[in-house]
Amino acid sequence: MTSYLELSNITKTYGHFTALENVSLSVDKGEFVTFLGPSGSGKTTTLMIIAGFEKATGGTVKVGGLSISELAPHQRNIGIVFQNYALFPHRSAVENVYFPLQMRGVSRAKGMKQAEDMLSLVGLKGFGHRHPKELSGGQQQRVALARALVFEPSLLLLDEPLGALDKNLREQMQIEIKRIQRSLGVTTIFVTHDQSEAMSMSDRIVVFERGRIEQAAAPLDIYHRPQTSFVASFIGESNLIPATICCAGNKTAKSLALGSVDYAGADNVLLDGQEVTLLIRPEHIKLSRNPVDGRRNAFMTVETIVNYGDNALVIGRAGDIPLRVRVLGADVVIIKEGEECCVSWTPDSVFVITK
Amino acid sequence: MGISLSKLTEKADIWPWLLLAPLGIYMLIFFIVPLADVAIMSFTEPKVSLANYQKVLTGALYQRVFLNTFLTAAFVTLCCLAVGYPLAYLMANSKATTAMLILLLVTMSFWTSFLVRTYSWMVLLGNNGPLIAFLQMIGVDQPPQLLFTRFSSTLAMVHILAPYMIMNIYSVMKKIDPALIRSAESLGAKGWSLFRHVYLPLTAPGIANGSVLVFVICLGFYVTPVLLGSPREQMIAGLIGHQIEEFLAFGLGSAMAMVLLVATLIILTIYHRRFGLDKLWG
Amino acid sequence: MNTFMRWAGCFVVLFIAAPLVIVVPMSFSNASSLQFPPPGYWLGYYRSYFTDMDWLIPTWNSILIASATTILTMALVVPATFALVRHKFRGKGFADLMMLMPMAVPHIVMAVGYYSYFGELKLVHTHLGVILAHTCLSVPIAFLVLSANLKGFDRNLERAAQSLGASPTQTFLHVTLPILRPGLIISSLFAFIQSFDETVVAIFISGRDAETLPRKMFDSIRQEADPVIAVISTLLFFLVMIGIAAPYFASALRSRVPKPSRPASVAY
Repeated sequence: MTSYLELSNITKTYGHFTALENVSLSVDKGEFVTFLGPSGSGKTTTLMIIAGFEKATGGTVKVGGLSISELAPHQRNIGIVFQNYALFPHRSAVENVYFPLQMRGVSRAKGMKQAEDMLSLVGLKGFGHRHPKELSGGQQQRVALARALVFEPSLLLLDEPLGALDKNLREQMQIEIKRIQRSLGVTTIFVTHDQSEAMSMSDRIVVFERGRIEQAAAPLDIYHRPQTSFVASFIGESNLIPATICCAGNKTAKSLALGSVDYAGADNVLLDGQEVTLLIRPEHIKLSRNPVDGRRNAFMTVETIVNYGDNALVIGRAGDIPLRVRVLGADVVIIKEGEECCVSWTPDSVFVITK
Repeated sequence: MGISLSKLTEKADIWPWLLLAPLGIYMLIFFIVPLADVAIMSFTEPKVSLANYQKVLTGALYQRVFLNTFLTAAFVTLCCLAVGYPLAYLMANSKATTAMLILLLVTMSFWTSFLVRTYSWMVLLGNNGPLIAFLQMIGVDQPPQLLFTRFSSTLAMVHILAPYMIMNIYSVMKKIDPALIRSAESLGAKGWSLFRHVYLPLTAPGIANGSVLVFVICLGFYVTPVLLGSPREQMIAGLIGHQIEEFLAFGLGSAMAMVLLVATLIILTIYHRRFGLDKLWG
Repeated sequence: MNTFMRWAGCFVVLFIAAPLVIVVPMSFSNASSLQFPPPGYWLGYYRSYFTDMDWLIPTWNSILIASATTILTMALVVPATFALVRHKFRGKGFADLMMLMPMAVPHIVMAVGYYSYFGELKLVHTHLGVILAHTCLSVPIAFLVLSANLKGFDRNLERAAQSLGASPTQTFLHVTLPILRPGLIISSLFAFIQSFDETVVAIFISGRDAETLPRKMFDSIRQEADPVIAVISTLLFFLVMIGIAAPYFASALRSRVPKPSRPASVAY
């Protein structure tokens, strides 16, 4: 597959402030890519540069091999769904969807028919005559989606479109957006700061931080093999333990708090004496009253137990390192707050982060 | 983060100036210049001197008029507050329909030309009007002259300016979170102390807004005092008009106008520093 | 405190309402001077108003001047408001303040200025003179209304329009303008009323030739208290009433249009 959307060395500065620094990325045709990062990390700025509302200080944007950097937003043929949907309040739902066709000179009769069809595709058959304020948040969302797709855009950009919806509706819309995107095969960029949304929807996640791309990879890779401690801490719950590689040959690192820790592998070549960070996900730590045979064990003082019913989060300390452990709801009865217990893990669940 | 809409706005800084230019030029020619004309005349008519200001600032007649104007404006402001606060409270604390009806009434009053309202007071307070008739009915043989007195002009001004006060206070009261009052009550405040320490401070911005507005408008009020007031107890605006219309004393009239303008601007500047002028009429 | 406030409030309602409604019976009175309650009723003064050129011409002048003022005000204020709300530039704070200044200056001061300055320009006693002065006085209120509307305008709507293929001009015509329409209408209405009601400047500069209705009313109240004033007051009173009630009725009518009920299949 050749890359369809190509960002090369995009830089954006406002006076002395650098909002984006050398952002490069290739997206394949039909791919669903999520830009994930905290607010101010540059993900929305990148989106606005692709859409043409922001002009990059440097770098180029290509779609299908042609540079669109010099085109005005209305010449780019890119569909956008805004966070607040930005539906035109003076037009009914179907007239909103008809708008891009109207701008492209499609006759009213033909365009309205097409718009109605698009509304049916997003599950809003029969709602066309309603004005935006007569629609619920989820319905407005669907209209915005229909409007951004009806003119067969070369790209679909979604700027935190689910932020305003409540939790149940959000999950429903995640599935719905994914379904529509697949059925139309449109290349999609989705911006969010919600990691679970990113995990569940994307073919690929691009993690932004301070105007740079930290990592771009498939969701499970991002989760299991984060390249930087920022990515590790931003995605999922994590225990990050500073350590020193003591014996690269034996795959062992030494931590002040936990003593010797075995690891299974790493993406980078490791050298003895190298300072690294060890990532152990809370659900991979086993909690027990007594040391587990055949594993390296450490001791943790339990400080707080938070019950969620089906599982519980145990927060404690091993030496001066805070540790978070996820246990099944049924297992939590074995310990009490203030007690000391054993924590252990297998080498497979330890990932070495060098940055 | 400024996200510019189009290339037009990208291309920078000439656009706002181009859009502002017609109005800017207009305001220069038809606002600044006439105003400057007043300032200049106050020093040059009939000849270049400070005589006008000397007369206006030290003459007994003028001093009395200035004092009278300030006292009247202050009194009218107080009356508007006394009238406006209970009504605003009633609106903010009654059923939606009642509140809307009162709001409708206040809005009606606000939008009804103040000439009409001035005329109404002439009818109400006139020698053949209902108030005199009422006084006679309850046995006052020699009812006092009501019309063309300080009483009639003050009453009418209070009526005309009260809507400004009411609207300002009401808009603040409406936004007070009832939970705030309830929590104050749960903390032991009640009656007068609840009002004094919780409600009043919360409504203070509305009071300040309304008072400044009423006071400033009243300072420069021309029509109502001229039509309803006593000719012997003029306010500044009336005297300015009198000087210009009767005696064509442009210098003297301008000097008084400048004093009025400066007084108004001082009050508004203090207000602007604390709250921002655009809030005043908002 | 509560009961006291309520009673005081009721009293104030009376104080505010009485002068508003008293002009209505007065306009039907057959007394030749101010007398209330009227000795008898007739429509004679309505006939006088609608046949007397001394009243009709000022009415016409006022409508003409207020209309022209509205058009001129909007032509100047709309672009300026866009500049002030949507752009950041040096001196913006000062420009914002200048827009409001005509509201801060007492009208009597402006009246003295216009009387002298327009005298030199030969604009006293002309329609044009009054229009030019009134435009200046209408700018702040039009600006306040419009800028509040424009500040609340969601720029994403324009971005959405552009992403959907609308050029800047099309965006303005199809999105910006229609959405701003209510703000533009209200702002124009305020400019119109400001001019239509303005009295002090008109007293000084409109003269006999461009005499406005408020000036005619002022002179008439001052001199002989012509009962026709009650007729005009009543007409103005009902005009205001209609003006205030119209939006309520419009929205009530609109909401009466039956809305199709929501199909049960789509539950959100």
